Amino acid sequence: MAAVDVQRVNGTSHVGDWPDRYYHVDQVLDRPGPRTDPSFMAGDGVKDFLRNQCKILVIGAGGLGCEILADLALSGFKDIHVIDMDTIDISNLNRQFLFRPKDVGKPKATVAAEYVMKRVPGTKVTPYYGKIQDKDDDYYMQFNLVICGLDSVEARRWINATLVNLVDPENPESLKPLIDGGTEGFKGQARVILPTVTSCYECSLDMLNKPTAFPICTIANTPRLPEHCIEWASVLEWPRVQGDKKMDTDDPEHIQWLYNIASARAKEFKIEGVTWQLTQGVVKNIIPAIASTNAIIAASCCNEAFKIATSSAAYLNNYFMLIGTDGVYSYTFEHEKRSDCPVCGGESLEVSVPRSWTVERLIEMLVEKQDIQIKKPSLSTATAQIYFQAPKQLEEVTRPNLEKLVSDLVPDGGDITVTASSLPFSLSLRITYV
Amino acid sequence: MSFSESQDLETATTAIQSQPDNKTRRYDRQLRLWAASGQSALERARVLVISASALSTSLLKNLVLPGVGHFTILDHHATRPSDIGNNFFLDPDASLGRNRAEEAVRLLGELNDGVEGHADTRDIADVLALGAEYFSGFTLVIAVNLDPSLVEQLSTLLWQDAACPPLIVVRSAGFIAEFFVQFHEHDVIESHSETAPSLRIDKPFPELLDHALQLDLEHMDPTDHGHIPYVVILVRALEDWKREHGGSPPTTTADKRAFKDAVSALQRHQDEENFSEAVANAYRAYTTTGVPSNVQALFDALPDQLSPARPFATLVAALQEFTKQPPYALPLSATLPDMKSDTESYVALQKMYGRRAEKERGVFRELVNKLSAETGSVIARDVVDLFCKNAHGLFGLQGKRWGDLDTSRERLVELLAASPRETATHLALSALSTWLARHSVAHAQSNGSAHPNSQTSNTELRPTEEDLLALVQGALGDGVELGKEVQDAVGEAARAPTADLPNVAAFMGGLVAQEAIKMITKQYVPINGHCVIDLVDTWTGVINA
Repeated sequence: MAAVDVQRVNGTSHVGDWPDRYYHVDQVLDRPGPRTDPSFMAGDGVKDFLRNQCKILVIGAGGLGCEILADLALSGFKDIHVIDMDTIDISNLNRQFLFRPKDVGKPKATVAAEYVMKRVPGTKVTPYYGKIQDKDDDYYMQFNLVICGLDSVEARRWINATLVNLVDPENPESLKPLIDGGTEGFKGQARVILPTVTSCYECSLDMLNKPTAFPICTIANTPRLPEHCIEWASVLEWPRVQGDKKMDTDDPEHIQWLYNIASARAKEFKIEGVTWQLTQGVVKNIIPAIASTNAIIAASCCNEAFKIATSSAAYLNNYFMLIGTDGVYSYTFEHEKRSDCPVCGGESLEVSVPRSWTVERLIEMLVEKQDIQIKKPSLSTATAQIYFQAPKQLEEVTRPNLEKLVSDLVPDGGDITVTASSLPFSLSLRITYV
Repeated sequence: MSFSESQDLETATTAIQSQPDNKTRRYDRQLRLWAASGQSALERARVLVISASALSTSLLKNLVLPGVGHFTILDHHATRPSDIGNNFFLDPDASLGRNRAEEAVRLLGELNDGVEGHADTRDIADVLALGAEYFSGFTLVIAVNLDPSLVEQLSTLLWQDAACPPLIVVRSAGFIAEFFVQFHEHDVIESHSETAPSLRIDKPFPELLDHALQLDLEHMDPTDHGHIPYVVILVRALEDWKREHGGSPPTTTADKRAFKDAVSALQRHQDEENFSEAVANAYRAYTTTGVPSNVQALFDALPDQLSPARPFATLVAALQEFTKQPPYALPLSATLPDMKSDTESYVALQKMYGRRAEKERGVFRELVNKLSAETGSVIARDVVDLFCKNAHGLFGLQGKRWGDLDTSRERLVELLAASPRETATHLALSALSTWLARHSVAHAQSNGSAHPNSQTSNTELRPTEEDLLALVQGALGDGVELGKEVQDAVGEAARAPTADLPNVAAFMGGLVAQEAIKMITKQYVPINGHCVIDLVDTWTGVINA
């Protein structure tokens, strides 16, 4: 008696629907608001697209992903795919509400998909337990929209570049709106990227907080903070003592070892404050995360997806930033496209370097510079290879160039192409000398 | 990340810890924000939410997951098909026809074994008739889309006594929403302010000054020279400057530039990063350390008479006494930021700051003791120390009553001119709430979403834009022009008057839960006023009533 009668379907039938199921959502789909675009097809047309045709991809089934999947399903998206390469950890349970203690160790994507399908009947959630890089252009081409709830910059850069590359000006279907969310503690942001049209993820790379990096000489010689002692344990002592054994920051025994070493070092230098939690936080680069902030940002992403899919209201142009530490502060603005963006800009990035710089120094700059941040870059000109990280033989052949001056290899105003295996694009640098 | 000061060197380095227990691991990502003290406040909290709507369960989810102690949902309605359609915490296989509160409590309970949930299936109108006692058993009360006359009753009941719990009133319709936190006073010791406390370079304490003056900068060994912490460099440079300028610090722009140049001149070569840091931080030497504005505001708001019921005021008064003595600043913070230096010099400086901070904390404690004795307050020593440690980031909010904003036409007109879209959205939601209360079936209205079971009668429950505009005009008074912002907000309210959209419910659930956590833990700073949102143009705003 208590189950909703899914048989009593009327009008355009949707699997699993019951009368009044969409009582709430239909109020904004049956009529426009004052700011709704005239192209909005109120009523059955828009409902049919949302519920029967639209296919959406969710990347990440973690803190944001769990919320995103539930919000999308309740909003009426029925064909949802989700990718996540992680398994469930106990520390996820304070916010990733589709998981229970019994699920610890299982793949996030699979457990999340099953849970949402159970709670929101008629929704098909297709999980993929693996990496986004496993999938090719054909796979991404099948979706109307992509939403990202990721904690990795690298993965975001990859999907952003992939979706920008996918755009074929002859085929409007190839433009996949990308909605990206991120949180840290009480803060977060959501943005809408229309690949090649609006500012893309790569355009805003310099907005990221600079990761805290401690100079190696501080770690080795003049530690002052507990963090310096922990870095000493993980960066210098682990490889020295453990040799080739790979450090697994999810292994409590490894953390314990690092903590013990860091504690001893701290004691030697009379530095206070090395704790187990701090050790884990530093080596795993843990970012505080709570359910409420994830709920806000995920809802914001899904609301944009809903508005794009239905045209029931204008979508975000293009960046929403929220800070909840001191009252509720938010800022909605248009982030500008960068004409020298290596992914969507088309122009070379102008870089001015001293004539005295070696290739090695240039590489160091490419790794560190806020708007570039390319780990392990390979460099070449139109006519010659400068330095390649891989394959091994090529690395060996080009290694002597590291000590050469850039100015001996590239003329003033010349171009260098930078590539990296982790990024599906190349960066074009125009070098001038000072 | 700063280290814990309470942990002395001996325990920090000899007591070997092992992997934390399961509970600490489960809550790890939030403990890094509000620590054990915040967590224990959360676990002691009892939250009442009125209605089991989608928005209500969204916000409760965000309190159950981090481990709130207890929650009660008060809702006498049976679950309708439309409820299952937008609420993740109702079960399509089992909930239909059953009480909404019971079903939601059951499903929310699955999220966290450590949380106690209770369903109260009485009608809120009946509970209100029983008086304030029921509500006094809670830490926080949250009313979601409740009939305006019931909100009026509830807010009056909870306002009559400062010991009653704070009340959060939430309203939403389609893409627009707002919430308001009603409280008398809210004190924040741990605001997690991002403003660093003063290092007091301009007012160095004796040991620091002596240390800086003893340095033989000219003849110092090059390694030592390259490792003097910038704080010490600046203290020295400032003293040298003052000696040459009749005891005055740099004041004019030209002075400041000259001072920077003087610091720069001390650098032997470019590689001395400590001197580069000193130049970059030179402003700290010529910025006068005084009482920050947030703390001055607390001094200004002190009552004439201190009472044992408000220990925070006694602490603030003691702090004011402290700042009336030289060096006319807050007690020194023991936290020293990282700076280029060798271990020995840095740790020595850290210890110097630690000793001085300890001494000033002692002075502060005495001032508190004196005032406590006079006023009959009893304040635990760890609270005094916590207050002292966080002195630079203190906040004290004076709250307002729900509905105050709407009692003054003049104020509304002013606000509409100053923050048009925010005020317009508030007015549209007020108008809608009034209209629905007048027109809907009283019984269905009294809780949560106000719609009847069948979609066919929807039209009867839909106000026209004109209906709502007339109510807005009534609130503002004749002759006030209703601009585009009002038209836009009213249009959205009339479009979806009873829609509790899943995304808006989740968004509001997150925002309200954040404020609830801030109120409960007394950490971070909650909003004071109406927080308004519009998810058509994706913005939030605060109207300070």
